[in-house]
Amino acid sequence: MNISDSIHRKNKGKAASLSLSSASCLDENIKKGGAILLGAQRFDHALRQGLPKAALHEVQAALKADTPCASAFCLLLAERCRLSGQKGSNPILWVDEKQSQRCRNLLYPPGLVELGIDPNRIIYAQAATVIAALKTAADAVRSNAVVSVILALSGKNPRGLDLTATRRLSLFARESGVTVFLLRDQLSSLSTAAYSRWQISSAPSRPLEANAPGHPVFDVKLLRHRRGIEGLSSRLEWNRDSRIFEEYAPDIGAVPAVSVFGTDYQEQRRRA
Amino acid sequence: MPLADARARVPELLIFDHDGDADTRLLAKLAEACERYTPMIALHLPQSLVLDISGCVHLFGDEHMLVQDIEDRFDGAGLSVQWALAGTVDAALALARFGLKEGAQAQLPVAALDMNDKTHRSLERAGLYHIGDLADRPRAPLAARFGAELVLKLERLLGQEDRPVNPKRKSAAIITERRFAEPMGHIDSALLCLHELFIEAAQMLEDRKQGARKIRMQLFRCDGHVAKLAIETGAPTRDDKLFRRLLNERIDTLNDPLDPGFGYDLVRLSIAAAESLDAVQTDIDGGRDAASDEAALLSQLSIRLGRQDVQRFQPANSYIPEHGLHARAALDYKDAFIWDQPESGAPPTRPLFLFDPPQHIKVMAEVPDGPPRRFIWKRVTHDVTRAEGPERIASTWWRKRQGHLPGKAGLTRDYYRVEDSEGRRYWLFRYGLYGTEKAQPDWYIHGSFV
Repeated sequence: MNISDSIHRKNKGKAASLSLSSASCLDENIKKGGAILLGAQRFDHALRQGLPKAALHEVQAALKADTPCASAFCLLLAERCRLSGQKGSNPILWVDEKQSQRCRNLLYPPGLVELGIDPNRIIYAQAATVIAALKTAADAVRSNAVVSVILALSGKNPRGLDLTATRRLSLFARESGVTVFLLRDQLSSLSTAAYSRWQISSAPSRPLEANAPGHPVFDVKLLRHRRGIEGLSSRLEWNRDSRIFEEYAPDIGAVPAVSVFGTDYQEQRRRA
Repeated sequence: MPLADARARVPELLIFDHDGDADTRLLAKLAEACERYTPMIALHLPQSLVLDISGCVHLFGDEHMLVQDIEDRFDGAGLSVQWALAGTVDAALALARFGLKEGAQAQLPVAALDMNDKTHRSLERAGLYHIGDLADRPRAPLAARFGAELVLKLERLLGQEDRPVNPKRKSAAIITERRFAEPMGHIDSALLCLHELFIEAAQMLEDRKQGARKIRMQLFRCDGHVAKLAIETGAPTRDDKLFRRLLNERIDTLNDPLDPGFGYDLVRLSIAAAESLDAVQTDIDGGRDAASDEAALLSQLSIRLGRQDVQRFQPANSYIPEHGLHARAALDYKDAFIWDQPESGAPPTRPLFLFDPPQHIKVMAEVPDGPPRRFIWKRVTHDVTRAEGPERIASTWWRKRQGHLPGKAGLTRDYYRVEDSEGRRYWLFRYGLYGTEKAQPDWYIHGSFV
């Protein structure tokens, strides 16, 4: 349900119409912020020209074992967001909870390079608690110094993550135009103020020569969308060279890569 | 005197073990409290403090008023102090030790030389009881009889030769401070004062075309306690609004909150590290500067989460996979690094997440040195449908003793990229070559691909 609608329904009158206008102005803000296109054209079309940048998006791993896949989906969207925006030199902030020293599962920079993400543009922050992580993310979103924030939280009900906290994040995102990804390592129906909610799981890749594992493949399912888009699900393959998601079509074989805005990045790289 | 004798004389004597560490800690604390007099303070274990007060005296009137202030404060803390003023460190230490005042070096006993007992005794046997007896004697015979060390020590005592003070802390380039007639009992006013001090320091920095990177603050409580705060910024800055924000962040994240107690009577702010910073022209429409926003955010997060917990990645000059995890504090990060770009069209050969340390798994393979067929990780069985490998990574044999000899180099790892029937991709390795290095090599999982 739209927030402006709910306000309107609760109290009719002048005050309500005022808040309605301010809310619709914020919606304008979301539109003005631009959108992240995935690259797969059918997908972007179904999303009505991509995901808005000035918003909070929630990405959930279907199972705990799918967390790397969900993380990669967030990182790749953030990287596409960075490449397509004017604030291309701004970094991406990754915030998670500090893991125990005995058994850690860490973001691996050479692996980032292999996905086509520039590790120079990642700030890796570890917070001691969920509250500290939320606070860190909120400050980063407000500061306008980053292009996108990925907040990775583990567990079923992280202490401190609720509607209020996510609402705050999404309001800050609307104001500053910084995209926020809330990354969860399992499915959860906790109500959040996210603009969209996604379920990600890994899928068998297209085998290469000698039955070698191929490029990253994701099963992507849209669980919820503010504008009521439903039933969108697809299998996407990440094309590192043109940095786009492609619709996975195993029968046809190789799909020609149509770059949406890949050339820009290549030129940047040449200059660097 | 033996303990038993002492007890016999004073039956109600209380006895404690000597705790040298506690003494040192107390001395260090006192040294901190004495930083209100001069930044040049050296500890002289086990029981002395050396204060270099040159250039600091005018703040208190004269030397004796300064010493009076020190005495009063130590008295207030329940400590009695023996002090002496002198031109050199050694003279002052010896005078204080024997309870004499400035200029009385001649009356010091020879023990003040701090040589060994034998030397002291032989000096006394020669009829030389005081430093004054030694002072006018020719140095060469003394050196011939007792060694050059004695002459050096003698000259230091007499102020003919100086030894530099080795201060506890490097003194800062810019120091601003405020002293109060009456102690200040509120944190807010102390913070306001720090803010004003920073504005003063920023003006000095501006004259030097510099910006602060490390700011150190000290709040001296009138009972001798010193609260220390430090702020490190991501880029040189003179912005007092940013300073205020970082200061508030610092106060919020303190483990034990500031306790003004009886009040602060001296607040000091010093710029411990500065870097060159030219004046920057801001946009005419008041637009915000992205680079400075980023530096401000990094400073803020580093203060809140801890310096080492806000990181940026740095390429490792090594082929050992776990060395690639190398990250450094974001505050130390200067320029962008060059990363090896993968071949176009090739699938990812390195995982997105790496396990540190690698986790042990059980593996079934068709042949002992072939790719895995099935593996059990955390009690879940994974059927391998696709596999690529091995990518053989040898150990760093040149680091090992006799590593060039066969069998002494350490175990080789054979890495496989595998995909299980669920479509998840993992990075496994066999630790040790089958047959030649190990009879039954162990398997580990080292990372997960996307």
